[in-house]
Amino acid sequence: MPDATAIVDQLVFGVVYGLLLGCVFALVAHGLNLIWGIAKVVNIAHGEFIMLGAYGAFFLNLGLGFNPLLSAAIDGVIGLGVGLAFYFGILHRELRGKEAMTPRSEMVTLVATFGLSLLIANAAKVAWKGDVVGIPWSAGSVSLGSLQIPTGGVYVAILSVVIIFLTHVFFTRTHLGLAIRAYGQDIPAAQLQGINPTFVSAVGTSLGFAVTMAGGAFLTVLFPTGINPYMGALYAPISYIIVVLGGPGKMWGSLVGGLTLGVILHVGQVFLEPSIAYAVAFLTLIPVLVFRPEGILR
Amino acid sequence: MNFLRFLRPPTIADLRSILKIGPTAWGIAICLLVAAAGAPFVATYPLTILIYLLVFAALAYSMNFITGLTGYVSFGHVVFMGLGAYGWGTVVGTLHWSPLGSVVIGGAVGLLLALGLGIVTLRFRGVYFAIASLVTALAAVNIVLATPALGGGQGIILNLGFEPLSWFYAVWVILAIEVGMTYWVTHGRIGYGLRAIKGDEDAAKTLGIDVTRLKLFVFSLSGLFAGAVGAVNAWTVSGVFPEAAFALLFSLLMLAMVIVGGSGTLLGPLVGAVVVYIPHTYFLTVASGAEFIVIGGLVTFIALVIPEGIVGSLRRYVPILQGILE
Repeated sequence: MPDATAIVDQLVFGVVYGLLLGCVFALVAHGLNLIWGIAKVVNIAHGEFIMLGAYGAFFLNLGLGFNPLLSAAIDGVIGLGVGLAFYFGILHRELRGKEAMTPRSEMVTLVATFGLSLLIANAAKVAWKGDVVGIPWSAGSVSLGSLQIPTGGVYVAILSVVIIFLTHVFFTRTHLGLAIRAYGQDIPAAQLQGINPTFVSAVGTSLGFAVTMAGGAFLTVLFPTGINPYMGALYAPISYIIVVLGGPGKMWGSLVGGLTLGVILHVGQVFLEPSIAYAVAFLTLIPVLVFRPEGILR
Repeated sequence: MNFLRFLRPPTIADLRSILKIGPTAWGIAICLLVAAAGAPFVATYPLTILIYLLVFAALAYSMNFITGLTGYVSFGHVVFMGLGAYGWGTVVGTLHWSPLGSVVIGGAVGLLLALGLGIVTLRFRGVYFAIASLVTALAAVNIVLATPALGGGQGIILNLGFEPLSWFYAVWVILAIEVGMTYWVTHGRIGYGLRAIKGDEDAAKTLGIDVTRLKLFVFSLSGLFAGAVGAVNAWTVSGVFPEAAFALLFSLLMLAMVIVGGSGTLLGPLVGAVVVYIPHTYFLTVASGAEFIVIGGLVTFIALVIPEGIVGSLRRYVPILQGILE
């Protein structure tokens, strides 16, 4: 019979750490959510852009000594450019002139981004070798009762929620944000209001990429030694699950999904082996898709 | 079990119609027969290359059943391959069945798993199916890695002999059955139903096509063959190793082959397998990782520019080939 207080301690740790991780997962998934909600495109190469964000933080730290929080801001700016390139290189061909997303276009973008994910992950492997690298940055830790919580983790969790809140403000309070959402809801009606469909979908996509790459930099704080070319293969499915849990296109959906997944993962690890906890967390997607296909949020 | 009436025994008229199978099917049949007749005279190294080419082609045809014929993109197909390999490895390792006969067990595991997964996941459309297939595959990998009975992270190590000819004929038989099944499915009533589903699933349903059952049928076929190929693939390395059996890259390669060759066609998966296999084998020894740069770039290019794939585009843009290629 294990000590009851030890289990309670572990549970509290699981919940607290799960919430911290969930906030950052939420930010990483938020980028996918924006593109999914606005352009109705599911980016299969999403994980690879997270990986690029993490490597961005790594190289900025290696070359210039920047800490990951500063690198995240620079990653975000780079992400805007990458998003524009992605939009005009891949999506624009398929979405131009369409009044709604057809199943056929959906498949074309799915397959095209799938090819892109193979290309980017392996180009990164060839360029930077397959070694796992990390960033030697720590902001110490705070103690919460008997728990030691890394301060860096608290910073990135708070910043993630702030960024999600800012995108919420942007999409509900500004003219451009409302125009982008109008495009996401009904393209012909948005055009009738004088909205340029190419402009707003390009801006929406590049915002999504900025958020994704900044999230990749934040992940390096929580997983200081987990940067490798294939890390996208883990974070992409996590992002899909989070977006589906919360409901694609819902601003707070990413946060709800991220916190849910983070807590399931870490509380699960208290009772189960880590790999089984991951399996359970992944399989929560299936009942959600069966019973609430529109996501947990109304 | 209404669809089982298609499985009636063949009549004389059926046998006669086999002779009229069209140039593409004849071409594939002749290539396969030549390969089978020539295999005993080929040196070991080229034979191994040929075996893995056939493994790739067999995987491509397996993927073609679901992704090619219905348009459902499956990112987790490696799960059938992997669990087929584990089923095979368990039977060979603990019950000491012959490795060749146990390939059937691999196929059966794939079939049952596809039935079980398909009942749940095939009700999701489009990207939701793609995501569900990816997530179930990852969950299966994690569960297998944590199961001590299946060897955990170490896998099942068997000590089987080096018999390339047996491997060759095992995968050859699987491939031949797959090509035959693809032909039979696309040229019958089921083929009309599947094309209707690929075009517009709701319209197909309105026309009275039992979409759920048809999708489940081709998905199970797909799982059956992927499981059998997984078993042969494990046989060639004399053991089941989790990283190799569940290499997610295999799902991606299968998908790439179908897309490059031309999804839903009879010849496409074979063309795709050859086109993907050449860079895969060439770069594996030169610069590991570079093969996927080439394949990924090719997939992106094909998806954006010629979404019908090589065979589909040849049919569309070269009028003479329209009656020949399928």
